[in-house]
Amino acid sequence: MKRILFVISLLTLVITETFAQNPAYISAMEKAVGLLSEFENTENNKQAVSQLERIAAAEPKEWLPNYWAAYGLVNLNYAETDADKKDIILEKAEKFAAAAEKLQPNNDEIEVLKAYIASARMAVSPQDRWQKYGGIVGTALQNAAKLNPENPRAALLAGQGVFYTPEAFGGGKKKSEPILQDAINKFAKFKPASSIAPNWGERVAKWMLSQI
Amino acid sequence: MKKLLPLFLFQLLLLSTLFAQTTIKGKVTDRKGEALPSANVFVKGSYDGATSDLDGNFTFKTSQKDTATISASFVGYEPFEQKIKLDKPIVEVSIKLEEAMNVLNTVTITAGTFEASDSKKMVMLKPLDIVTTAGGGADITAVMQLLPGSQRVGEQEGLFVRGGSASETKTVIDGMIVQNPFFSSTPDVPQRGRFTPFMFKGTAFSTGGYSAQYGQALSSVLLLQTKDKTDNASGWNLNANMAGIGATYTHKGSVSGSVYYSNLSPYFNLIQSNIIFDKMPQGFSTSLTVNENLTKNSSLKIYGTYTDNQSTILFPSYEEVGTKYRFDLKNRNVFTNGSYQVNFDEGRWILQTGLSYSHNTDKLTIGGNAGDRLDERTQVRAVMTRLFGRNNASSVLFGTEFHAIKVGNVYNQYDFRLNENYGTAFVETELYITPKLAGRFGLRSEYTNVIDKANIAPRISLAYKTGQYSQVSLAAGQFYQTPEKNYLYLNQNLDFELANHLILNYQIIKNDRTFRVEAFRKDYKDLVREYTTFYDPNPYRFPIGKTDNSGFGYAQGFDGFFRDKKSIKNGDFWFTYSFLDTKRLFRNYQQEATPTFASKHNFSVVYKQFLEKISTNVGVTFTHTSGRPNYDFATTSFLPIYMKPYQNVSLSASYIKVIKGNFVVFYASLDNIFARKNVFGYRYSADGKQRFEVTPPVYRTFFLGISMNLSKQLSKPKEADLEN
Repeated sequence: MKRILFVISLLTLVITETFAQNPAYISAMEKAVGLLSEFENTENNKQAVSQLERIAAAEPKEWLPNYWAAYGLVNLNYAETDADKKDIILEKAEKFAAAAEKLQPNNDEIEVLKAYIASARMAVSPQDRWQKYGGIVGTALQNAAKLNPENPRAALLAGQGVFYTPEAFGGGKKKSEPILQDAINKFAKFKPASSIAPNWGERVAKWMLSQI
Repeated sequence: MKKLLPLFLFQLLLLSTLFAQTTIKGKVTDRKGEALPSANVFVKGSYDGATSDLDGNFTFKTSQKDTATISASFVGYEPFEQKIKLDKPIVEVSIKLEEAMNVLNTVTITAGTFEASDSKKMVMLKPLDIVTTAGGGADITAVMQLLPGSQRVGEQEGLFVRGGSASETKTVIDGMIVQNPFFSSTPDVPQRGRFTPFMFKGTAFSTGGYSAQYGQALSSVLLLQTKDKTDNASGWNLNANMAGIGATYTHKGSVSGSVYYSNLSPYFNLIQSNIIFDKMPQGFSTSLTVNENLTKNSSLKIYGTYTDNQSTILFPSYEEVGTKYRFDLKNRNVFTNGSYQVNFDEGRWILQTGLSYSHNTDKLTIGGNAGDRLDERTQVRAVMTRLFGRNNASSVLFGTEFHAIKVGNVYNQYDFRLNENYGTAFVETELYITPKLAGRFGLRSEYTNVIDKANIAPRISLAYKTGQYSQVSLAAGQFYQTPEKNYLYLNQNLDFELANHLILNYQIIKNDRTFRVEAFRKDYKDLVREYTTFYDPNPYRFPIGKTDNSGFGYAQGFDGFFRDKKSIKNGDFWFTYSFLDTKRLFRNYQQEATPTFASKHNFSVVYKQFLEKISTNVGVTFTHTSGRPNYDFATTSFLPIYMKPYQNVSLSASYIKVIKGNFVVFYASLDNIFARKNVFGYRYSADGKQRFEVTPPVYRTFFLGISMNLSKQLSKPKEADLEN
């Protein structure tokens, strides 16, 4: 009995100590990241971004909540049709990305995220914006490749850029094929660092390849 | 055991209190009480929170004790925080969110301005529109002439804005006045602007009521902002067309040099021209651009260009039918402009400084008589801006400028020269009283030693957002200009000329459709008047009569603009209409009359279409300018003789192709396709007995060219951006 009570005491102490820390953080993150896995599901995306924003505020030292919140916002921007509203959403995504970068400088995934946001910015009005945001996408992807040549998402975004550029401007689906194939190969080799580390993109890469 | 039991009980208690949760519920609304769905409400520092539902309601549980900070956030709204007491099992909170200032809800001051910019969203025109407009010939001014408030005057270069003459508009690059924005004037042949639209990231064309930062323009300013450094690309751009060949090399996005050789022989050999060249226009120009971001907060821009042009034209002498005289022109032009910008305190303080020098000489031989035109201008400028208020949207700025100007006209034994020192100081604040209501209040003071006079000009603009997509604005102010040099040579006791502007503007921009209407009234005072024995309509005569500032006049009217980029896929069209009623007593007019450069009705339609399948952009532009008045030689009645309306239909096309990773653009244009015989006015023989028509240099023209971008990095040439 004595021993049991002691164990329980100890356990409750341990629980109260660790509550709202790692396991809770991980499980909350896992839940939010899980909601983001289907980027077409706007409602889930909204829920996830809200949840991630809360976690980011509660865990000021973690970069991943900021990272995923920005990622979710980019996906939400694609569900919006009004150009000005898209920009407001993407502005918020940029803020989260900047917060993530501050906590985790020189991270290839954050460079990819910056390229992801900039390409969304460009997509709002490609003719007027390719010059500015095209440059940002290019620089960010170059940085990502420097930091980690095996990053599959960097390859995916490079391929995606070519995929959506009209043939007349030197792009086209055919030209994107080898780059996307390269991304698929990298995805096959890629192992995320944890259950809440960046792991998106393989499905999109496969879908794009299927369209060629 | 007995000792441990209390501990156990205590810990159970701890656990139970820990897991005893408080329910927080409430509603998220905006300031008006409208429900805001999808807002994020949470207890700060915990994961406890919820997203508001369609009615703005939320409910969630928190294990936080005693007090908590409730945070709420929603895209497009200011973040919200409030401390609450968790003293009941259910705590109710009502959350009111303030809308953040953003492009959707914030008004911009628009009265009198027409912007072409990428950076601002509330614009009706993008820089690329300038090169893709048929009939515009990739010339900034020619395209601005298609905008409301401006009109085309076929025989003269420049912007004629709302009843103002071309000299009432100033061209400004990065805050610095450009002394010679156009290639050297030739009688009755309008000249192109010296600057290519590709140099600029933004163009703002003011039709009046402009900021106190600019002056010396009674009617309008054309503000050009040079590009910032955006990438590190290196590469060549080569271009060739019927008027010349050129090459530009850019090194790492920051330094670029260009050379251009122009020769109009191929052009005029293919086109039937109304003027005869003794020597075909040819020229050479070179430029150097340095564009560097020195630190994260500072940037340096230097632009320098040298141009050399010459031509000899045989003009009709207007004395006897068929007689000609030689007009020989050799022009040399140097223009340099440097600017340095730095900001401090996270961008809240901005210092902009500029230094510019220009030198222009025209060596003329007119019918055997030697003449020279000389201009030189050195200017310095510094502007300090402080941003403040919500979202740093409001600002206050102080600035000063100093110009040393030398001008001269030499003709045979006559040698007129003028040295002017001009200084100005200005202060202006732009205030957001609410995001929906903004005001701009400015004061500009100027002094020039050439007439030894000073002035103080107040300027005011107000803008109010009337709906999600619409707004009204109002602008008023005083605008001074030193009299034209031709008058100052002989009389330096003149005073500034003055125009008072009042402008009311309404615009609605929604889903790529723009509608804008503007009404204006302009009162001219103290215009220079020359007293002559009879009226001589020759616009190139030198004023030798007695002059004073007793002239006056007015201009009033309205204009409308509608643009639609939505209704036709890959298509874009716009209509403009301007109505102008104006009269003046000025120059050598002997009565108040409508100036010869002003036309009552101006109408234009521009349509562009990108044909995706063949990567080709095509465009057509139609313009109609009602006949301008003309006054007979030595008229006493000043009854206008109206010319027939000017009309023009132009076509343009460009085709884009990628060849081995290099972008190639082929472009072609056809101007005045129906070869309508437009007549701009009359010129008279010296005795006034014979009258001759002024016609354009060519009735119908076509133009072909090619532009190639050879770059290590795949980057589009600017011309490739034609799908609009």
